Amino acid sequence: MHTQIFVNLPVKDLARAKEFWSSLGYSFDAKFAGEKSACIILGESILVMLLVEDLFAGFAHKPVCDAHERVEVLHALTCDNREHVDTLIAKARAAGATIPDEADDDGFMYAQGFYDLDGHGWNCCAWSTEAECK
Amino acid sequence: MHKQIFVNLSVKDLSRSKEFWSNLGYSFEAKFTNDQGACMVLGENLFVMLLIEEFFAGFTNKPISDARERTEVLNCLSCDSREHVDSLVSKAKAAGATVPKEPVDHGFMYVHGFHDIDGHGWEFVHMVAEGDCK
Repeated sequence: MHTQIFVNLPVKDLARAKEFWSSLGYSFDAKFAGEKSACIILGESILVMLLVEDLFAGFAHKPVCDAHERVEVLHALTCDNREHVDTLIAKARAAGATIPDEADDDGFMYAQGFYDLDGHGWNCCAWSTEAECK
Repeated sequence: MHKQIFVNLSVKDLSRSKEFWSNLGYSFEAKFTNDQGACMVLGENLFVMLLIEEFFAGFTNKPISDARERTEVLNCLSCDSREHVDSLVSKAKAAGATVPKEPVDHGFMYVHGFHDIDGHGWEFVHMVAEGDCK
């Protein structure tokens, strides 16, 4: 079992990407930052390493996927409640994210997603407390 | 801040992927597993949703990237020890993963990784606690 995940993603412009994630309210762990990288703290166990493309490419052993064109992964993050989801989506939109769909409310889960400035897909979801209780 | 992450990845053959990850010692959450997807437990708050391609495609308006050809993400998981890292990579290799490089030992950090049978990249890292560092 693992206690932490580091999601490594390539970005075209590190300063812009950091500004985007800062706008959403996240902070960075300076311990894992360099000229070409930044570590976003999404949660106690969840960290994202933003790496400029040439640095990422050194780890990947394959060509870097342009996430604006194609998708390999969608990361879903649990939120405290609907308002948390809505707030993040609103901030992401204001910061330049693409919001492809309306919020999805299927009773037990409320979710909405966005593509960040580099095209990486994120989904923010809140479980309904009622669903958890059943 | 977020408590849980669900890493959604597409797979070509769900039963083969489940077998691959089972060989590495991971289990699945039955509540979120059916014939279109399987929820793998990586840690208390860390999950992977292995989704057959047509199901994954329903969550995005972009084409699915072939992870054997290009890489959008490298998910890196923390491990308890070097032996934990080595054991996972060795089990993965035996189960059909591609191991593109030798382990890297930075002194404070020991890293090794593989590409799973769908081409998705994984890294496993053991970090020496600051107090242990000489």
